[in-house]
Amino acid sequence: MGTEVEKLPGVRRKKTGSKIKQDKATIAFNIIGYTLLALISIICLVPFWLIVAGSFTDELEIISEGFKLFPSTISFEAYRSVFSTPEQIYRAYGVTIGVTVAGSLLGLFLTSMAGYALSRKDFLYRNSLSFFIYFTTLFSGGLIPWYIMMTKYLGLKDSYWALILPPLLSAWNIILMRSFMKSIPESIVESAKIDGAGDFLIYRKLILPLSTPGLATIGLFLALGYWNDWFNANMFITTGDKYPLQFLLYKILSSAAVLQTNNGSYLAANVVPPTETLKMAVAVVVTGPVVLLYPFVQRYFVKGLTVGAVKG
Amino acid sequence: MMRKVTKRLTLVLVMSLLISLLAACGGGNNNSAAPEKEKNNGNTAPVQGEAGPDTSKKVKLTWYLVGDAHKDQDKIVAEWNKMLEKDLNTTVDLKFTTWNDWLTKYNLLLTSGEKIDMIFASNWADFYKLAKQGAFKNLKDLLPTYAPVTWANVPKQDWDAVTVSDGIFAVPNTNPEYTPLGYVYREDWRKELNLPEFTDLNSIEAYMDAVKTQKKVTPINGAAYENVNDLFKFWTDTQMITGEIVGATSYATPRDIQIIPFTDQYEAWVKKMKEWEQKGFWNKNSLSSKQEAGDFIKTGQGAIYWRNPSSAGGFINEVQAKGLKMEIGFFPFTRFHNYVIPTLPIANGMAIPKSSDNAERSLMVLDKLRNDPAYYNLMTYGIEGTHWAKGDDDKTIVIPAPGVDLNVTPRYDIASWGWRVEENIKKEKGGWEGLDKLKEEFKPISKPDILGQIYLDYDPVKTELAAVNQVFEQYGKPLMLGLTADVDASLKVYRDKLKAAGVEKLLAYVQGEANKYFDEKGIQ
Amino acid sequence: MSGKGGLIRELNRNKVLFLMVAPTLLFFIVFSYIPMVGVYYAFTKFDFDGGLFGSEFIGLKNFEFLFKSGILWDLTKNTVLYNLAFIILGNIMQIICAIFLAQLTSKWFKKTAQSLMFLPYFLSWVLVGAFVFNLFSDLGVVNSVLTQLGLQTYDFYLQTAPWKYIIVFFNIWKGIGYGTVIYLAAIMSISEDYYEAAKIDGANIFQQIRRITLPLLMPTFILLIMFSLGGILKGQFDLFYQIIGNNGMLYEATDIIDTYVFRSLTINFDIGMGTAAGLYQSFFGFVLIMTVNYIIKKTHEEYALF
Repeated sequence: MGTEVEKLPGVRRKKTGSKIKQDKATIAFNIIGYTLLALISIICLVPFWLIVAGSFTDELEIISEGFKLFPSTISFEAYRSVFSTPEQIYRAYGVTIGVTVAGSLLGLFLTSMAGYALSRKDFLYRNSLSFFIYFTTLFSGGLIPWYIMMTKYLGLKDSYWALILPPLLSAWNIILMRSFMKSIPESIVESAKIDGAGDFLIYRKLILPLSTPGLATIGLFLALGYWNDWFNANMFITTGDKYPLQFLLYKILSSAAVLQTNNGSYLAANVVPPTETLKMAVAVVVTGPVVLLYPFVQRYFVKGLTVGAVKG
Repeated sequence: MMRKVTKRLTLVLVMSLLISLLAACGGGNNNSAAPEKEKNNGNTAPVQGEAGPDTSKKVKLTWYLVGDAHKDQDKIVAEWNKMLEKDLNTTVDLKFTTWNDWLTKYNLLLTSGEKIDMIFASNWADFYKLAKQGAFKNLKDLLPTYAPVTWANVPKQDWDAVTVSDGIFAVPNTNPEYTPLGYVYREDWRKELNLPEFTDLNSIEAYMDAVKTQKKVTPINGAAYENVNDLFKFWTDTQMITGEIVGATSYATPRDIQIIPFTDQYEAWVKKMKEWEQKGFWNKNSLSSKQEAGDFIKTGQGAIYWRNPSSAGGFINEVQAKGLKMEIGFFPFTRFHNYVIPTLPIANGMAIPKSSDNAERSLMVLDKLRNDPAYYNLMTYGIEGTHWAKGDDDKTIVIPAPGVDLNVTPRYDIASWGWRVEENIKKEKGGWEGLDKLKEEFKPISKPDILGQIYLDYDPVKTELAAVNQVFEQYGKPLMLGLTADVDASLKVYRDKLKAAGVEKLLAYVQGEANKYFDEKGIQ
Repeated sequence: MSGKGGLIRELNRNKVLFLMVAPTLLFFIVFSYIPMVGVYYAFTKFDFDGGLFGSEFIGLKNFEFLFKSGILWDLTKNTVLYNLAFIILGNIMQIICAIFLAQLTSKWFKKTAQSLMFLPYFLSWVLVGAFVFNLFSDLGVVNSVLTQLGLQTYDFYLQTAPWKYIIVFFNIWKGIGYGTVIYLAAIMSISEDYYEAAKIDGANIFQQIRRITLPLLMPTFILLIMFSLGGILKGQFDLFYQIIGNNGMLYEATDIIDTYVFRSLTINFDIGMGTAAGLYQSFFGFVLIMTVNYIIKKTHEEYALF
């Protein structure tokens, strides 16, 4: 922890902040803050809006006139292609949600345990073990040995475990978790130890409640990782019923692209699915649920229990 | 992470490959077979002298195809297995790679040694390289016993085409096709503007010029590179062997192999292309555009798009199905020099990976699939009465079957290319009739592919090849589209960079291998 | 480091902590370390009969294509500079956003802004590429505006100059929501007590940020930068490929190792050469991170990555 901060005297929290009349600095701060964030938000929103609008546009209109804020004609062609087999899409949503929930919870549990152990200053091998974990981000043996490990030795071909295991732990999440937990004062652990609490109990009863923002962050990252993962399904899943959403959509996209280039001579009665607007509809279908759920995650990003509150 | 890099690399690689192969280049710039060294011997035991293969043991086979499974695939395979079980005491578990990254997965399946008894194989899926590296079983001794009908009805030269180092590593399909490139274009505009029909470069230039100046439309809108590069190859009769760099200067002079960008012909061409670019025949951002030129024809903002006859048919059908008010014509580049080269036999085929324990049984199933119409029709066209119905005669079919709604039962599609046999192929009613006319046009002017089967694995020059290819991508492509400000200067840079990358060593290697092949086959 | 009889004694003393990391270690052994044998592909000429270890050993031949071109140094420089810009500018933007998000009072505004900032993360690079093309093509948005203002149009796809900025901009734009979350969480873990104390000392909001928030974010900032250093030679292939495509006119300013390797191997993909390129990137990152970590450890131990 920065030394400059430690010199400040610790004072119990009081709920007076908002009542104090705003000084000039705060006003300036607010003006800059609101303007800047509003600007960034718009820059982030506009392209996304163009994609949403694009997904409802006629394929030929997109090609000829490019992206538009408001399409001149509304077309549901892209969504019809996406939902051409609705039961499959719903099933895929189910698979994705199941894998995301199971994987995120298990991953969060393992990541937080590892992160906590590695953050403990009295854990002698914390640095060597951190290095052991970090090293995996530097070197990799490539796709083939990994694939052989997954299929031949672990027998995970066409198993849900093939979707859950690979994204479960990442060096990035663990090191990040370790750093969040490092900011919890050592003294808390020490006093609990004196009271005779074991390491696991300390982790469960003290550390976890104190790390809410960190857990929310890592949980979010894990969930996003699972939600967006199509690669593992692409590699290992061969049964259509087990396809997660992202892979199913990605499959629809690539089949459409193939049809588009390979629309042999027979196409008489069949119309080729759109490809441009399909890409956009797919982005909307994937992102939609997450955007709606995200506000629920946000409530964990508030100042939760502070150190003072626990002590007191 | 390396895995990610490789993954992405292969992904894009595959996409670009896929696009080019689906357009099925007729130019014959693919690596091909010539025996090099003995590698696969003694991994198959000839079982001859028996009365007929023993099928007393029940066997379950795993087959892999590229592409996606159809909605009703399970039903069809179940039907198929009923027949197979009765006839051969065998069932097949049919799996698909899906189109996503199919080549990555295809290579993984082979490299990881997964148990597979039959897999699609093709020169555009690296058949020759894989065969040489030992990915497939040698079928030479098995074929006469376990696939006797196929062994007899596949022409000798087709077997030769899949022979690598004296072993036969695939069963090629028996369906010679013509897939030369050409332009689909706005025929109605040509008539309206009173322009001559396409016959040569001048007529094409006149057309583009008129479209640009009178219709105010960029003739090749969107991605232009392939449109221009293929025109170059067909117009100059350049027979590329290695990428777009090393090739023979004409079909008649196969031994005259040169570094194409070093030729005067090339220099004259890129100068012409600079003129075309300045006339606005394509856009300045053409190299970054991901939109196919054909998409702009559909919107009325383009006039020309490269296609092969079959995909031209698809394009024309689509324009009609969408009710777009335009007339589309097709001009095959073969008319420049009046000959056409058919696709290689191993453009599509089936092979047995080394990991298979049941090669014999798998071949027996393939023999049935290729030659027994009951098996062939079911797997290739689906269930009769649901996915298709008999047409006017035995050779034609109707899709969809009467009373079937395509929205409920989408048209059946399967990567059947690997086992297609010409005499079993049925023609669908309602296709583009231009296709048959072209077939008639091509048959009498067909010439064998003499360059396509020179087998090159580039092992001694792989470093140079990689460097040269990158130089081509960086300098060759902009030059072909006349995008650089000073053609003379950038041509010099291009040539210098190619030299520095070791293009001459590459040339020597290609010439050496080609001459060996020509000597062997007696080609002058 | 651990004195005599270290490991056994430590295992005994902290056995619960060991048990807590054990699943993680096992995971990495199985999914990362054992498959690492694959780096050996870089030194062989692959064939199916031999497999990984039976194939012919050819030394460093697979690396030659990287050096042969003579532009490896330029590529390395490009890749490193792009990554540095991404890492440093990206993190600074994320810190700024996180600080405002933490301090502003309007709840709905904060929530909305945070949600909106996450949207780009969900757009694939393919879509971003299409979007960029729409902006900068011959008849794109920018050139239409220029025309309407009576100005000369600009051939973006023939000029190398603007692309560094465009690429850096879109990369930061795409990652801003994701990165901000990390800093926001870090700010939320700062005890309110510090701010109360500072307020009593009469510190205004800017002073609070300078004296409390920024110093306390320092460890996270350094951690994230350090973490990224190991991958400094690994480029985001999709970002470059989707925005630039096959446009050789722009490579001088936009070529990174990954795009270069991809182009080199399009005709003749070779597992050995692909692995070799990855190994070069890994090795470079490895040396860099070991050096930096060593220096940091000597000077500010608490910031070291391991």
